[in-house]
Amino acid sequence: MYKHVLKRLVSIIPLLIGVSIISFFVMHLAPGDPTALFVDPSVSPHELARIRSNWGLDHPVHVQYFFWLKNVLRGDLGTAYIINRPVTELIAERIPATLLLMATSLFFILLVSIPLGVLSAYKKGRGLDNIISVLSFLGMSIPSFWLALMLMLLFSVKLGFLPSSGMSDPLLADTSLPGKLADIVRHMVLPVLTMVIIGFAGLTRYIRSGTIEVLGQNYIKAARAKGLSERTVLFKHALRNSLLPVITILGMTIPDLFAGAFIIETIFAWPGMGRLGIGAVFSRNYPLIMGIVFISSLLIILGNLAADVLYSVADPRIRTEGKD
Amino acid sequence: MKKFRRNKLAVAALSVLALMAVVALFAPFFAPYDPGDIGKTALEAPSMLHFFGTDDFGRDVFSRAVYGARISLSVGLVAVSISVLVGFVLGIISGYFGGLTESLIMRFVDIMLSFPSIFLILAVQAILTPNIYNVMVIIGLTSWMGVARLVRAEVLSVKERPYIEAAHVIGASGPRIMFRHILPNVIAPVIVAGTLGMAGAILTESALSFLGLGVQPPLSSWGNMLQDSQAYLRDAPWMALIPGLLILLTVLCIYLVGEGLREEIGR
Amino acid sequence: MKKTILIVISVFLSACLGCSGSIKTGKNIGTLTFTLGGEVSIINPVLSSDTASSAVEGVIFSGLTKINEDLEIVPDIAKSWTVSADGKTYTFYLRDDVYWHDGEKLTAYDAKFTFDLILDPKVNSVRRGDYIIDGIPIRFEARGPKVLRAMLPKPFAPFLGRVGMGILPKHLLEGKDINTAQFNRAPVGSGPFIFKEWISADRVVVERNPRYFAGAPKIEKIVFKIIPDENARFIALETGQTDVCDIPAKDYKRAKLLKRTNVFEYDSLMYVYLGLNQKREIFSDKKVRQALAYATDKQQLIQLIFNGLASPAYGPMSPVGWTYNDNVEKYDHNVQKAEKLLDEAGWFMGKDGLREKKGKKLEFTILVNQGNKEREKAAVILQWQYKKIGVKANIRVMEWSSLLRILNAKSTEKDFDAVIIGWSLGIDPDSYSIWHSTQYPLGLNFIGYSNRDVDWLLEKGRTTLNRRARKKIYGDIQQIIAEEQPYIFLWYPHSIVAVSDRIGGLSKPGPAGLFVDIEKVYVKENY
Repeated sequence: MYKHVLKRLVSIIPLLIGVSIISFFVMHLAPGDPTALFVDPSVSPHELARIRSNWGLDHPVHVQYFFWLKNVLRGDLGTAYIINRPVTELIAERIPATLLLMATSLFFILLVSIPLGVLSAYKKGRGLDNIISVLSFLGMSIPSFWLALMLMLLFSVKLGFLPSSGMSDPLLADTSLPGKLADIVRHMVLPVLTMVIIGFAGLTRYIRSGTIEVLGQNYIKAARAKGLSERTVLFKHALRNSLLPVITILGMTIPDLFAGAFIIETIFAWPGMGRLGIGAVFSRNYPLIMGIVFISSLLIILGNLAADVLYSVADPRIRTEGKD
Repeated sequence: MKKFRRNKLAVAALSVLALMAVVALFAPFFAPYDPGDIGKTALEAPSMLHFFGTDDFGRDVFSRAVYGARISLSVGLVAVSISVLVGFVLGIISGYFGGLTESLIMRFVDIMLSFPSIFLILAVQAILTPNIYNVMVIIGLTSWMGVARLVRAEVLSVKERPYIEAAHVIGASGPRIMFRHILPNVIAPVIVAGTLGMAGAILTESALSFLGLGVQPPLSSWGNMLQDSQAYLRDAPWMALIPGLLILLTVLCIYLVGEGLREEIGR
Repeated sequence: MKKTILIVISVFLSACLGCSGSIKTGKNIGTLTFTLGGEVSIINPVLSSDTASSAVEGVIFSGLTKINEDLEIVPDIAKSWTVSADGKTYTFYLRDDVYWHDGEKLTAYDAKFTFDLILDPKVNSVRRGDYIIDGIPIRFEARGPKVLRAMLPKPFAPFLGRVGMGILPKHLLEGKDINTAQFNRAPVGSGPFIFKEWISADRVVVERNPRYFAGAPKIEKIVFKIIPDENARFIALETGQTDVCDIPAKDYKRAKLLKRTNVFEYDSLMYVYLGLNQKREIFSDKKVRQALAYATDKQQLIQLIFNGLASPAYGPMSPVGWTYNDNVEKYDHNVQKAEKLLDEAGWFMGKDGLREKKGKKLEFTILVNQGNKEREKAAVILQWQYKKIGVKANIRVMEWSSLLRILNAKSTEKDFDAVIIGWSLGIDPDSYSIWHSTQYPLGLNFIGYSNRDVDWLLEKGRTTLNRRARKKIYGDIQQIIAEEQPYIFLWYPHSIVAVSDRIGGLSKPGPAGLFVDIEKVYVKENY
C-alpha cells in the first residue's frame, strides 16, 4: 500500500518536468513579448530593449528554461513581470478563491448527481430515467458562458436577488465574521450554480451506467431474493459498489473543473487563479504562466493520485497492481 | 442496427443532425441574404423579413446562422477526425508493440492529461493566427488522449484472444494482424468516443470564440455569433438565443446519437 | 455526513433569502465606489503603465504640476516655476505644507530622487524616454528643500507636461530595489487619499487624508472595484454596487434610463485610424489613399459601432486640443470621386468586380488587434465599404503583442499593409515620434511616413515655446497630413461615464475626467 503510494508520488516528477518543458517552449514560441504591452507614443524602442534585458529575455529559450528549473527546485517560481512580485505569492493569494469555488461546486455536483444517477438507473427506460437523461444531456450541451450570462440577467438584474460579480461587498468590510461569510456565500451562488448545471450531467451518466451494471449482478439478485426492501438494496448495496468507479472519474473531472472555473471566474469577476492565468497568457507574463500551469498540473496530478489511493483503499482487489 | 432504430430518441436526433448538415451544405440556397451584407437597420427584432432578426451590423441572423452551421459542424468533424486519428494510431502502436514504446506513449498521454488543456489551447492559439483551420487542428491535437487510452486498452484485450494467437501461429505478418484482426474490433468504441468528442469540440470552439480566439470575422460560426451577442444580450436577446440554442440542439443530438450507438454496441 | 450537507445547504439558502430585494446591505455613507475594467498591476507611478493602476495612483500621489479641467498645466506640489531666457532651465518652487502619508515632510530631494529613479537604466520604467532629449538626459538638482531645478540640453516645449509625474518618498525607497519593493503593494504618497488595502483582483481601498495640502477630501473612503466583464460592470452600476462606471456607447440609452444616475458624454484626447503602410506600392500612390478616404463612410462606422456617439476624424489631432485646426481637407464620403481617382491611378474595374492594374488586383490586408470590439467591427465595415469600389480588403485579427511585433519590426520593409489602431495624445501637441521620418523603422512612425516639410515643422514645434507660434506650426502640420492621408482618419471616440446621483462636486466633463479635484467630491447625505 505505502509502496504503491510512494511509487505514484515518484512518478509525479517526470510528469511535472514534461508538463513544464512543453508549456515553457510553447509559450516562448509565441510571437510578441511582454514588453509589447508598453506601447504608447512616448516609449522608445531602446527603452523596451533595456527592459527586455533586465528581464533576462535576451537569453536563448533553453537557457531560460534551465534558469527557471533551477529556481523551481529551490521552491522559487520566479518573479512575475510588470507586477514585479514573486509568482508563488501571487498564486497563493488567488488559489483559495479558486479552490473554494471548485470544492463547493464539486460538493453540490455530487449531491445532485448521485441520487439522480441512481434513480435514473433504477427506473431505467422509463419516464423518470428519460427525463433525467435529457436533463443531463442538456447540462452537457449548454455553453457555460452563455448560461452564466443568462443566470446573471435573471438573478441579478431581473430579480435583484444576488450580486453579479466579485467575491465580497467592500461596504461590508467592517461587519462581523458571520456577516462576511454570508456575504461570500451570496457572491458564490451564481458561479457555483453555473458550474453545477454544467458539471452534474457527466457524473450522473457515469453513476447511472455504473449502477445499471451493479444492479444486474448476482449479489443484488441475492439481496432481493432475501427479501430486503428495494430501498436497502438500492442505497445500501448497489450504491456503495457503483460509487467505486466514480472516485476515479472524480479525479479525472478536475481538469474540466479548472477549465470551467477559468471562464466562470472571468465572467463573475471571481478573484481566482484562472483569471490571473488568462491575463498572464494575454500579456505573455512567462513566469506567471509557468507558475500557474505548474501548480494547476500539480493539483490535477495530486487529485488523480488521491482518487487512486482512495480507490485502492475502498477496493482491496487492486491494491498491488499499478494502474495506467 | 435494429436496436438503434428502436431507440426513437436517437433516430430523431440523427434526423435533426442530417437536416442541419443538408442546410449547411446548401447554405446559399437556404440563406435569404448574403451573410456579410451590412443592412440599414441594426439590432432589428425577428420579423417576416428577418426570421431571426438582425445583428449589430444589420446583418441577417438567420443567414449567418445557416452559414455558421457550415463552420461549426466542420470544426466539430475535422477536430474529431484529427483527435481520433492521432489517438487511434498512438493507441494501436502502444497496445500492439508494448514495452518501451508503450510506456513512452502512455507517459506522454499522462503529461497531456495533466495540463489544464484550456491553457494549452489558449497558448497555442496565441502563437498561430486564429483562423478556422488552426482552431480545428488545435482542438484535435488537445483531445486525442481519451481515444488513445481506449484504443490501447481494447487492443490489449483483443490481443489476448485465441484467434489472434492463431494468426501468429500461422505466420501472419504484424501489420496484417493489426489491420485485419485488431482494427475491426477497436472501431466500434472509437466511433462512440468520436461522437462524444465532436460535441465537445463544438463547445470548445464556442468557448474559444468567447475568449476572442475562435473563427475570425467576417466569417460566422455559432461560437463567434454568440460572442458578438454578448454585448447586446439585453438589447437584442435573439442574437444570443439563436446560436445558443443551435449549439445546444446540435450537441444534444450528437450526445443522443452517441448514446444510441453505445447501446447498440452493447457496452 | 448528512449533517454537514444539511448545514451547507441551509447556509446557502439563508444567505439567498436574507438578501432578497436589495443587493446592497453595507453602509455606504461617505464611500465612493469606482469600477476598474482591468487588474491593478502595481501602484507606483514610475513603474506602472496601465490605466487601472494610474487611476489608483491618481488619488494617492501628487506631482509637481497637474492638469486642470481645462487641460491647462497648473501648480500642484510646485506652487510656481520660472523658465530661463534660453528656455533650457526650469526652476520649481515647492509648497511648504506637503507631507507624506507617514508624516514626513515632502521636499525637493524627493522630487530629484523620483526623476533620477526614472532615469536609472536598472529601473523598469517606460517613462525614461520622456526625460531624455536627443539622447541627453535632463539633469535635476535640488537647491535646498524647496527648490528643484531642471536643466535641459536644449529648449523643449513638451517638458512642462511631463513633470506631473507622481513624486515618490525618498526616505522610504532610497537604497532599495524599486522594481520589487514592497512599497509597490502598499504605497505611501502625498495625495488626497491614503492607501488602506489592496485585495488582488478584487479591490483597492483608500482613505481620506486629513492633512492633504489642497484641503482635506470630503469623502471618507474610495473603493476601486475590479470588474473585468463589461456586462457585469453595467449590472454593478444598475444594482447600486458601484457609483461610477464607464459606459460603452451601446449602453448609453439604457444608462440614461437609470434612475438616480447621471450620464456624462465628453470628448477624449484620442483618435482611431486606418494606417496605410507607405512603403507598400499601392499605398505609395496618393490617389489610392485619397480614393480610400472618399470611400470611407465615417457616418456609417460611427452609427453602427457607437450608435452615433463619436465624431468623424479628419486629421491627426483631437478637437479638444488647443492646437486643433478644423480647416483641413475632409474627404467626405463620395463613392464617385473615389472611383474616379482609382481610374486615374490606373486601377480599372475587372470582370470579377475587383480593380486591377497590370494584372495585379487591388487587394490588401487590414490588421486589427483582438479583443478590441470597436476596431474589429470597423474592419468588417470598412471591408464592406471598400468592396463597393472594387477594392478587396482582407481582415486579420491578431493578438495585441503579435500585432505590435509586426509594427515594431526592425526591418525596413514591415510586413503589413494596413492596420486599425489609435493614438491617445498627451496635452502637448508634440507628435514628433509619430510623424518624423527618423522614427522609421525604429519608432512609432511604423507606416513609414516621410515628408520634409512635416519633419521641419515637427522639429520647430518642439523647440518653440511661444504658444501662438506653436499653434500655427501644428495647424500647418495638420493641413499637410490631412491632405496626404497616410492614415485614413476614422473617428474621435467619446467618453461616456455614468455617475450615481448621490455623488456631487464633479468637475466639468472633459478629457481630464470628472474627478479632477477629487478632494472636492462629496457624497450627498440622507440619500
